[in-house]
Amino acid sequence: MNAIETENLKVWYGDKLVIKGVNLEIPEKTVFAIMGPSGCGKSTLLRAFNRLLELNEIARVEGDVKLYGKSVYEMDEVVVRRKIGMVFQIPNPFPHMSIYDNIALGVRYNKIAKNRKEIDKIVEWSLKKAALWEEVKDRLKDKASNLSGGQMQRLCIARALALRPEVLLMDEPTANLDPVSAKKIEELIFELKKELTIVIVTHSPAQAARVSDYVAFLYLGELVEVGKTEEIFEKPKNELTEKYLTGRMG
Amino acid sequence: MRRFKDHLFLVYLVASTIFVVLPLFHILFCVFANGLPVLMKGGMNFLTGVLPAPGDGLGGIGPAIVGTLVLTVLATLMGLPIAVLTGIFSAEYPNSLIGRATRTLLLIMMEFPTILVGLFVMNILVIPLGSYSALAGALALAIVMMPYVAVYTEQALKDVPSRYREGAFALGLRRRTVVKILMSMARKGVVTGILIGIAKVAGETAPLLFTAGGSYTVYFQGINRPIGAVPLLIYQLVQQPYQNYHEIAWGASLVLMLIFLAIFLPIRLSLKEVKL
Repeated sequence: MNAIETENLKVWYGDKLVIKGVNLEIPEKTVFAIMGPSGCGKSTLLRAFNRLLELNEIARVEGDVKLYGKSVYEMDEVVVRRKIGMVFQIPNPFPHMSIYDNIALGVRYNKIAKNRKEIDKIVEWSLKKAALWEEVKDRLKDKASNLSGGQMQRLCIARALALRPEVLLMDEPTANLDPVSAKKIEELIFELKKELTIVIVTHSPAQAARVSDYVAFLYLGELVEVGKTEEIFEKPKNELTEKYLTGRMG
Repeated sequence: MRRFKDHLFLVYLVASTIFVVLPLFHILFCVFANGLPVLMKGGMNFLTGVLPAPGDGLGGIGPAIVGTLVLTVLATLMGLPIAVLTGIFSAEYPNSLIGRATRTLLLIMMEFPTILVGLFVMNILVIPLGSYSALAGALALAIVMMPYVAVYTEQALKDVPSRYREGAFALGLRRRTVVKILMSMARKGVVTGILIGIAKVAGETAPLLFTAGGSYTVYFQGINRPIGAVPLLIYQLVQQPYQNYHEIAWGASLVLMLIFLAIFLPIRLSLKEVKL
């Protein structure tokens, strides 16, 4: 079963075509990496999946994105974003809210829990899933801004998981973290794929090789190559992919 | 030679800074030097009493102080909700036709001669009702206040990095909730704008000239009746040929300055910024 499928997906910013007709099939419960040099449209592609592109007034989408066979553009965008969670390049927990409230906010708003006790449970569950519980269980009322960068990013993962998404989008989640924190996130990705589908955008082929089952190489808004990670890293069919993987292209 | 030029530039910078700041301190000094003796002499009665007859001692400026308070509160009640919503709207829809038009209009309104605001309100309210009134004064002040609050609100919201906006929407929140979160992150800027607006109108004279009318021998009589204000009182007293009126004007100036500082200093000192 595919978690996400795109059909001839095109994205314009004003008059500029930045995603040029992408067809992708992302199997469920796998880690799917989208890699490519900066500016190739990776982040844009990701934001077309959960309709976050709509925040950008000049962005226009054509084609379709299907979540388990159902077009996300025919669903309520709020439901789409609950089912497709997202973690960003710069950790963005709400700095003025407590660790607890950062997670409880979405839970309360989307009516996932009925009472305080259930919320408590979900907060604990998602912090454990994000491997952050042991570090913060005694200071849930602390402001999120007091956490380290790596902790903030795991809080963002916990916040997304709390909504029980089917897919988790990660937009270069380790780009702004130190190597130790980055490694923790990568280990986490390994754990999480047992339960949900992860689409991770990265500009580092090495990271794609470490964490993903499938990989797609995007170049200038076009899908150059896609397939099982081992196969692509061992024997890229396309010359561009090979150049990128061997570091001969930024 | 280069070092010398560098030093010269520094001296020039310091000198011009002093030149700019000096008048401010001179004003503060003047107001204190002339106003304080009046306040000391008049005592509590200066704050609570009513305006005396020409040549008949100091009396007090109670009705003017209450008037300023009433006008400011009324103006805030009228102007604030609309202004904050306008600021939110133009921050949320910056590229919409209305959003762009609002922003331009607000900037014009901010620099608009306030005496014209007074004339406008006189035309739509004072003439039809046949009387100066607290309502008319407050409306004029509300019009003066709104662009400040709206522009500051908009700017404060825009200063919140977009990753928090995206993060909030990605959690499946709707726009109203997202705006609420962003507003609480931007609260320092928003509150600063509100207080600047309030401080600005508490000290305004021109919008009140043709609207509030002035009333200094009796206290507040209703929103449809003329009302006094401290700056308006100063303006009116200074034009009179009486010695005691001039003294009262100095005392009132000091009171006005203290009101202004009382609104302004706490914000600067107390409000905590959200650490991003």
